[in-house]
Amino acid sequence: MVRTAGRTPSAKRFRLANGLQVVLAARADSPTTSVWVWYRVGSKNEWPGVTGASHWVEHMLFQGSPKFAKGAIDRAIVEVGGTLNAFTDTDFTAYFSTVPKEQLSIPLAIEADRMTRALLTDREVERERTVIHSEREGDENWPEFRVDEELYQLGFRHHPYRWEPLGRKEDIRALTPEALRKYYRHFYGPKNAVLVVSGGFDSPEVERTVRSSFGRLPAVGADPHVREVEPEPNGERRSTLRGPGTTPLVAIGWRSPAIHDAETPAAIVLDVLLGGETRLFSSGASWGRGGEHPSSRLYRALVDPALAVRAASEYRPRVHPSLFTITAQAAPGVGLDRLESAIRTQVERLAKTGPTREELFEVRTKVRRGAELAYEGASRTGFRLGYFSMLGPVAFESALLRRILAVDRSAARREAVRLFRPGRAVVVHYEPTGGNDDHGA
Amino acid sequence: MTTERNDPLVFARETRADGLTILRQPAPPGSAGFAATYVAPAGWAFDPAGREGLSVMTSLLAPSAAGRRGRVALARELDRLGGSIERHCAPESAEVAVSGPASELEPLLGLLADVVLRPRFEADDLERVRRQIFERQLRESTQPGHRAERELLRAVFPKGHPYRASGLGERRTVARIRRKDIETFHEATAASDGGFLVLTTSRSLREVQRLADRLFSGFPTEHPVGFPRTEALRAPVRGARTVPMAGRTQTEIRLGGAAPPRSDPRFPSLFLANEVLGGRSMLNRLFQHVRERRGLAYHASSDLEAMRWGGYWTAQAGTGPERAAEVVRLMTVEVREIGTVPIPSAELDRTRESSIGEIPLSLETAADAHELAVDAAYHGLSDHYWKEWPPLLRATTAAAIREAAGPVYDLAHSTTVVAGPNA
Repeated sequence: MVRTAGRTPSAKRFRLANGLQVVLAARADSPTTSVWVWYRVGSKNEWPGVTGASHWVEHMLFQGSPKFAKGAIDRAIVEVGGTLNAFTDTDFTAYFSTVPKEQLSIPLAIEADRMTRALLTDREVERERTVIHSEREGDENWPEFRVDEELYQLGFRHHPYRWEPLGRKEDIRALTPEALRKYYRHFYGPKNAVLVVSGGFDSPEVERTVRSSFGRLPAVGADPHVREVEPEPNGERRSTLRGPGTTPLVAIGWRSPAIHDAETPAAIVLDVLLGGETRLFSSGASWGRGGEHPSSRLYRALVDPALAVRAASEYRPRVHPSLFTITAQAAPGVGLDRLESAIRTQVERLAKTGPTREELFEVRTKVRRGAELAYEGASRTGFRLGYFSMLGPVAFESALLRRILAVDRSAARREAVRLFRPGRAVVVHYEPTGGNDDHGA
Repeated sequence: MTTERNDPLVFARETRADGLTILRQPAPPGSAGFAATYVAPAGWAFDPAGREGLSVMTSLLAPSAAGRRGRVALARELDRLGGSIERHCAPESAEVAVSGPASELEPLLGLLADVVLRPRFEADDLERVRRQIFERQLRESTQPGHRAERELLRAVFPKGHPYRASGLGERRTVARIRRKDIETFHEATAASDGGFLVLTTSRSLREVQRLADRLFSGFPTEHPVGFPRTEALRAPVRGARTVPMAGRTQTEIRLGGAAPPRSDPRFPSLFLANEVLGGRSMLNRLFQHVRERRGLAYHASSDLEAMRWGGYWTAQAGTGPERAAEVVRLMTVEVREIGTVPIPSAELDRTRESSIGEIPLSLETAADAHELAVDAAYHGLSDHYWKEWPPLLRATTAAAIREAAGPVYDLAHSTTVVAGPNA
């Protein structure tokens, strides 16, 4: 297998008769193998009353299937020193295990068993209800979660992006086991999934195993089509939250292009200019490394002059138009209106003059270099191959990278004008009510 | 073919005449990256009285202006080279690490040398970092999880003990810190003697030494303050604390006590005890009993912090306020059991083999593998330690674990903290 830094690793790709897409990326020198199954189902496929179902199903797929009784999945992977987990997003749900390469047959057997035959018994669904409730309560302790949830509720009135993948509290309380099973049976199956195996393994042998274990599964799993189209906002929408803590926040969101839109590469460039990185092309695990970016425009405009303690932009293109967001935490003594105004000044400036030649050069360098180590390790490789397989054909990732690197000053400026045009923003302020501070303030 | 020269689990090291120890770890096969870390005895144990927060502040300033570059120029150079700099401050030590593409090892290592040896501590950066520390202090007070951890350490360790604090100091002590304090602290702690430079790279030890000699020379000549030897003290009596935090949705629970240092011969036993109680695998008892069987919490786990001078163990969970009492009860039962009842052989075998099997997973990337090397350097573990680790674990019996865990996981000398709504 040839592997070149910064390029999608070569892989064998094929589709089984039941619709399962398979990607095998073997590397002789890898001591581990990672198995990923991605389903094209996430919170975008839910509807009021069943919000949080994709995430709940994610939990249930660890709670028993015909060959792996409750607890057996964890045991099988952990006993050999492997690691396993899953996550639910708006557009996808992914399950993964990484094991010493000699143990590859175990995760393959698990994924084949739970792809269409997870048990989702009444008892286990009920027991998991409190776990999910607790997960949500834990997130609610963070003002950032509350602000994010509010921002998307404001930003979308029709499209399912208006709720978090965790689901609404009311639905977590009310969703029935039967409704959850129905959801699982409808969406989960080979027709709606991509299996990625990456790392150390013998490709022909694994192909035979995959064909025999997954090829037997029925051709089920709806390719979900989301009908709701969110109309363009006809005015600015605002909200102020008050809650415990000491973290005053401003978050602003603008309607952003979907992953396949022509404007996406330029919007990614704006994200790097403002916030310092794009998590699509970075060396960190999963969605990238995060952290401080002192050379970014927001940092220099907000953090350096003591208007904010931290500031970040985020644009993760999704299957449907979503939000380009900027979030900042006010420095002590700085009002939220003032901070919001400073953020707006930055996006207006970008729309007025676009990036400088030097800035654009830096953005390109950063994206190009970020892509270099993006495929290091079996787990990261499995993540990226699966993620980009969800989005398009084999060449999609490299084509996107090329298009980002080709964005020029005028294209970046045009997108800033379009993205940040007045009267379309959603704005959330979080005003902390304080309490419990005993740090000698 | 894996030989000792390219096995990422076998290290080579040398201590220079100026006292700097250089440890080289081969990069994992096929890795396109490298990682390097400088570790100094510069943790918050060395904060002068009345200047608590100084070590964290110095550490946070590390990737700011250094050498001939201002902060923004340094960030741009890192971006240009595809590298990143991380820093970490702990009670005993401070680390600065750089990682990036193997092809840029030399220039990125040069940036690390600037950050370690030639920081500029500019006034703007200092004030920015001061504001960030104030913000972290507030979070530490007002986030239930952070608050519970802090209260636990305050209960377990006596006043003046470095493990008692989070290193953030108090608002008044951080407000008092001046540039001169930072420069003096850096002069005294950015040492070659007692410091380590750890590199994970495909280059040979000789090449690494040459690079280190060229880039990492001219350490401050003043001798560092040296490691204070602080005994880890157990909480004298069983304690319980509650921290009411109105408006929060979830209650955070912490249970813990003092533990011996990493160098203690009981470490492998205590490592396995922690793995069984609430360690990394989902088969641990807390996760199974609190979450999987009873559905009482989303997170339930335990940690063992074994440092140079001592350590501590914690068990933690987050749950709804109405379930907190039951979760505390379950956690207490599990802690008591780990200290008094031998672990059944099947469970112990599974835990041992799981821990051993994890080693290849630690070698996925240069940055992942690097953590093993930094651990070995700092704790003085042998060059073959990670090769010796599997037989060491397999030789650890249930009886040895109970004997080691009994005095450590002793409820009579532990504290429970409950922080959250209606606590």
